[in-house]
Amino acid sequence: MNRTLWIVAACSVVAVIGASPALAQAPGPQPFPMSFFVTSVGLGRGGDLGGLAGADAHCQRLAEAVGSTGKIWHAYLSTQARPGQAAINARDRIGNGPWHNSKHLPIAADLAELNGDTIELARLGSNLFKQSALNEKGEIINGVGDTPNMHDILTGSQTDGRAYTDAADHTCNNWTSSGPGSAQVGHSDRIGAGNTSWNSAHATRGCSQDDLKATGGAGLFYCFAIN
Amino acid sequence: MRVSLALAWALPFLLGSAAQAQQPAPQGSSAPAAAQGAPHPMTFFVTSVPIGDGGNLGGLAGADAHCQRLATAAGAGSRTWHAYMSTQPRPGQPAVNARDRIGQGPWYNFKGEMIAKGLADLHGDTIELARLGNNVTKLSALTEKGEIVPGLNDNPDPKDRTWAYASTHPNSNRHEMLTGSTTDGYAYQDASIDRTCNNWTSNAEGSGQIRGNVTGAAAEVGLSDRNGGGNGSWNSAHPTGGCSQEALTRSHGVGLFYCFAIN
Repeated sequence: MNRTLWIVAACSVVAVIGASPALAQAPGPQPFPMSFFVTSVGLGRGGDLGGLAGADAHCQRLAEAVGSTGKIWHAYLSTQARPGQAAINARDRIGNGPWHNSKHLPIAADLAELNGDTIELARLGSNLFKQSALNEKGEIINGVGDTPNMHDILTGSQTDGRAYTDAADHTCNNWTSSGPGSAQVGHSDRIGAGNTSWNSAHATRGCSQDDLKATGGAGLFYCFAIN
Repeated sequence: MRVSLALAWALPFLLGSAAQAQQPAPQGSSAPAAAQGAPHPMTFFVTSVPIGDGGNLGGLAGADAHCQRLATAAGAGSRTWHAYMSTQPRPGQPAVNARDRIGQGPWYNFKGEMIAKGLADLHGDTIELARLGNNVTKLSALTEKGEIVPGLNDNPDPKDRTWAYASTHPNSNRHEMLTGSTTDGYAYQDASIDRTCNNWTSNAEGSGQIRGNVTGAAAEVGLSDRNGGGNGSWNSAHPTGGCSQEALTRSHGVGLFYCFAIN
């Protein structure tokens, strides 16, 4: 992995923004087309996303609305096991990386870096933080201190990106409930709940849109291009 | 855009509202609590000002004294304060690990918010703790005066990589914290590679490189806002490009560091 290049890119965001915002939108081919974003809007029905298929379609729609072409988009969401239906792990649905945000800056080189598969990678963390976890339009997601706070990102996942295996609901009934249940969320700004987890910080109070809002959410989720 | 971003960051501090997300630590009151009035007295802070001579802090003793002096000025001088810093091995002198110098925790910031329960949480001693991360964030890594330390993209200016500018613009990015430590809070054992500005006695110019195999005078830094450096590590994101005050500033540090009360 070329961590060197990453630091260059991560640092250059300062120079680019400081010098001229126009540079970021310079015409011509971009070396790293967008392959990661946070949804600028949710689906509006709390934890009911129409299942994984509905969430994936939302990712695809938002990406294409800003001109993304030739990519297949998946939501970073897990589902839990049901009779005759195996669990699905968010990390298994998003390709192998590397992924870049809408300003062409790196998010993670691969699944190991994104999910912290070794203790060193986990301690370091990926390049996903408030200033890089942009929506498909290149905007920063409101976090702690912003109004309204929208940093609770639906994942239904454990810190390693895998589905929960216990009986409790962590996925708003596999993304079909806007009432009872709960979903595990991460924080796009890596602030809150006493940890800095991007994908598994705490559970929501329920699955209605108001329940999501109550702890600083809006039903947003992470989208990754798998190709 | 720039102004609104800065305001957005400053707002919670100005309003004194505690982070609204659930935290295991008791929330602060509606106004910033004075250190002595908070339910949990301050046992952690980021230095509000640097010593000012780059990576020459007068050794660990000088860094500790800086912590103690700032804490005393903020009314928290009754505790013993140590800088979160490692030193590398020298002939007849073993390495010192930052994590071994800061007591056992839990540690709380100016507002009484918990930073970490203990050494394992602070450093991610298990893979689950490491993935979760501690509670060092832009909004919690406050100075001894309760101020937020400016971080990535705050009030950017092309000149903000010079000490002349940074020293007169306290709201410019200065998120790089001197630690001289690995991600787990230990010293670098390879004495031939400088990651501590020669055990915090050097203000040498260095190579200017902050990536790859940096071989000149350098200090390992973490990021108090967890934004940048390609990883966002609070204690071991990358080396500096040198040890002079100017060299530290070039990569958006000014020589600030973490202080912990050991008692």
